[in-house]
Amino acid sequence: MSDTATAHHDDHASLNIDNKKLLMWLFLGSDCMFFGTLISTHLIYRKIYPESFDPTSLFSLELTSFSTFILLMSSFLMALAVSAMHKGELKSFRRNVLGVIFFGLIFLGCQVYEFAHFVHEGLTLSTNTFGSTFYMMTGTHGVHVAIGVFWLICMYFYSHTGKMDAHESAVDVEIAGLYWHFVDIVWIVIFTAVYLIEFI
Amino acid sequence: MSDVHYAPLPVSEKSHKDSETDKYHTFVNLALGLAAITGVELVLVYLPFNSTFIFTVLLTLSLFKFVAVIAWFMHLLYDKLLLTLAFGTGMAIATGTFIALGSLISRSDVDLDAITGF
Repeated sequence: MSDTATAHHDDHASLNIDNKKLLMWLFLGSDCMFFGTLISTHLIYRKIYPESFDPTSLFSLELTSFSTFILLMSSFLMALAVSAMHKGELKSFRRNVLGVIFFGLIFLGCQVYEFAHFVHEGLTLSTNTFGSTFYMMTGTHGVHVAIGVFWLICMYFYSHTGKMDAHESAVDVEIAGLYWHFVDIVWIVIFTAVYLIEFI
Repeated sequence: MSDVHYAPLPVSEKSHKDSETDKYHTFVNLALGLAAITGVELVLVYLPFNSTFIFTVLLTLSLFKFVAVIAWFMHLLYDKLLLTLAFGTGMAIATGTFIALGSLISRSDVDLDAITGF
């Protein structure tokens, strides 16, 4: 049964769409503007002051590509978790969510390692505009990942309380999934616009 | 002669589980595709091609990844148009902000010495 059909004639659904889902999409739209501003600021400073800093000796494309791969695979597992919840398979949901949490933690570990390495090499938040905009942007993304991981950990433990009904909770899981996928698409943009382009 | 009424044969609708299984295969193919694209992107920046060509390919590939995740993983392809509009509005404003700032701000507008020690 489609989500639209379940939402029909429901007090929690306006316009035949679940209210929570509609709100989540609106939030993601606003988050787009937020990240759009952060990424724009970084790119515009790079454009007008290209000589201010050369990050190619600092960046490790292998590590960043690995992080990208990890995040894409976590998105895949998240899609499977949402699908499992729609099918009412709680065990499969838990298994996939654990995978997403694990991958999310690996991504955060890579980011912490990268930041520590950059700081050790002398690039801090106040070194130059590159440092300021870079840490601000990737740090904010990292915080989003951390919130997503925390959200999924809570959801995993909640699924063990017996209060989580497979069909009723499907929308809640879908919303958590939307958030996680959004974090992934922001990283897709950052990976290309901030990391890869520096090496051309 | 009596009228003969032909009734169409009942068509069995695809069950919910079947559609979820179809989605599973789509997700697997998409995940493999996205991983492969990331690999191509990584190799591409090291190849001795024209930088404009590489830039265009990178932009196209990342745009494809972006849209693919939204359409299939985020389910937008199967959902109501209103959700696409809700998200699309934010995207359009973000893109507009980037274009506007990029075309308005120039080097002379920024006093870099005033904001950093650089």
